[in-house]
Amino acid sequence: MAGTNAPYRPFLEVRNLTLQYKTARYLITATDDVSFDVAESDRLILLGPSGCGKSTILKAVGGFLKPAGGSITLGGSGIKKPGADRAIVFQEFDQLLPWKTALENIVFAIRQTRGAGKAEAEEEAKVLLKKVNLSSFAHTYPHALSGGMKQRVAIARCLALKSKIILMDEPFASLDALTRQKMQEELLELWADTKITLVFVTHSIDEAITLGTRIIVLSPHPGKVVCEFPVDWSQINSKNHPEYAGLKERITRILFRDMDFVI
Amino acid sequence: MSNKETIPFDLLKTNCAETPQIPEEIKRKLSLWEKLYNVPALRKITLLVFLAFAWQLYAAYLDNALMVPTLTDTARGFFEAVKSAELPLRTLTSLRVICIGYSGGVLLAGLLTVFAITTKPGTDLLEIFTAMFNPLPAIALLPLALLWFGLGYPSIIFVIIHAVTWPVALNIYAGFMGVSTTLRMVGKNYELAGFRFVFKILIPAAFPHILTGLKIGWAFSWRTLIAAELVFGVSSGSGGLGWFIYEKKNQLDINFVFAGLLTVIIIGVFIEGMVFKSIEERTVVKWGMKF
Ligand SMILES: Nc1ncnc2c1ncn2[C@@H]1O[C@H](COP(=O)(O)OP(=O)(O)O)[C@@H](O)[C@H]1O
Ligand SMILES: [Mg+2]
Repeated sequence: MAGTNAPYRPFLEVRNLTLQYKTARYLITATDDVSFDVAESDRLILLGPSGCGKSTILKAVGGFLKPAGGSITLGGSGIKKPGADRAIVFQEFDQLLPWKTALENIVFAIRQTRGAGKAEAEEEAKVLLKKVNLSSFAHTYPHALSGGMKQRVAIARCLALKSKIILMDEPFASLDALTRQKMQEELLELWADTKITLVFVTHSIDEAITLGTRIIVLSPHPGKVVCEFPVDWSQINSKNHPEYAGLKERITRILFRDMDFVI
Repeated sequence: MSNKETIPFDLLKTNCAETPQIPEEIKRKLSLWEKLYNVPALRKITLLVFLAFAWQLYAAYLDNALMVPTLTDTARGFFEAVKSAELPLRTLTSLRVICIGYSGGVLLAGLLTVFAITTKPGTDLLEIFTAMFNPLPAIALLPLALLWFGLGYPSIIFVIIHAVTWPVALNIYAGFMGVSTTLRMVGKNYELAGFRFVFKILIPAAFPHILTGLKIGWAFSWRTLIAAELVFGVSSGSGGLGWFIYEKKNQLDINFVFAGLLTVIIIGVFIEGMVFKSIEERTVVKWGMKF
């Protein structure tokens, strides 16, 4: 993969990552020897059935979980603890601070992580809210927002950190199909705007092909990398394209082949 | 496919085009009577007026001011005691004591819970303490308090602190433990740690529980204060509301006793129904966090 004269250095490197949970009675291995790279401005998808350890990998990259084996490096330095250089969108709708309005949530993120002044942060937050089409809900508290709106605020809040990478853990999984499609389109527009590096977790093959530049397919519990697909949207560019169906077919077969082991 | 063809086309069309029958009463203005009936305060005030009448009638029928004075006698006693400044002074004494005891208890509870969430022994200690002391009625400690602190307000403050600390600590702790992992991760993602994490994430996220704790603590301490004052009054003659009630009973001024009880109720209702309610409206209700 590396060029001959300028050595290729991926932005995020995950090497032989083994992650485990210790409970009172068991030692659970969630992922086993997982390796992948993410280059800058990649939209990397982690795709796998539920329980295969996707969230766990994201938690480890986020710095919330110490690897039992292997390493994670970001921009050349190892990840030791959580930090604002990796913005995270969670799957759960309760990730917004309920005691702050949509705008205040974003302002809070800006001020806590970048020490900006109040007026300055508010200006920036308003711009971000506009980007996710929520300007008119700036002063609404999260409990009065719909699921899709909450996830939009969460995405705006992540952009506010101005970090180089965003980790998204099934952010659209609990949305209805229509909202979900709309959110996917919006996310791609945002990406076109910012070219931010994205690691996106999903269990939906369609979502993976729609959003990704590369798809890493994980096996069921404990998660291992099964194979990797590049997605070339300059080729595919529509769900009706035969390439799309072909790719979907291949990924489906791989996922189901592995499922047989468990079932 | 054949199914579709058997449905006559014009039938389909009429079915779609036909406007449904509009019921006559979709939306109508409520009558004045219905509107008034929908105001809870109004309903309650009406009930209260009825009860007041019942009291007055029964007391007049009984005609025994030593057992049940009439409402009007009680009201007269109340205004007399207010005018002579006796009742306001007694009330002020009680409020001062409860301020000290309540804030002391809340502070102690806060310290204990912060210690409990930061260290393992702290957790164990809090669990042992709350398990042991929460079921112990504060008044039961009064004899011991008298022995340790003598006859006077330090003893009462001691039992109030006991009444407040455990329920408040228990609720704050439950609130902190209940803060969702997602919110904690958001805080850590912003690199908040130590006191910043506690004040910017944990306390607001646990606020519904904290407020419940503060309310329960208040209710316990107010009851405890009045009871403690009743039990042993105060040597210097500068007793509080409880002492006022006790003293007036000894002087057989029963309408004053009722006036004192009424004051205890009014202050309790005011704090619970106005002070805590308005805090609640401004916080947990606004945030959609009321449970
Ligand atoms: N806190 C935890 N304690 C113990 N086991 C866990 C914990 N979180 C997840 N697991 C286990 O780790 C595995 C992977 O979980 P997760 O990463 O949440 O899967 P996914 O996000 O792919 O659905 C699952 O088998 C799950 O039961
Ligand atoms: Mg998950």
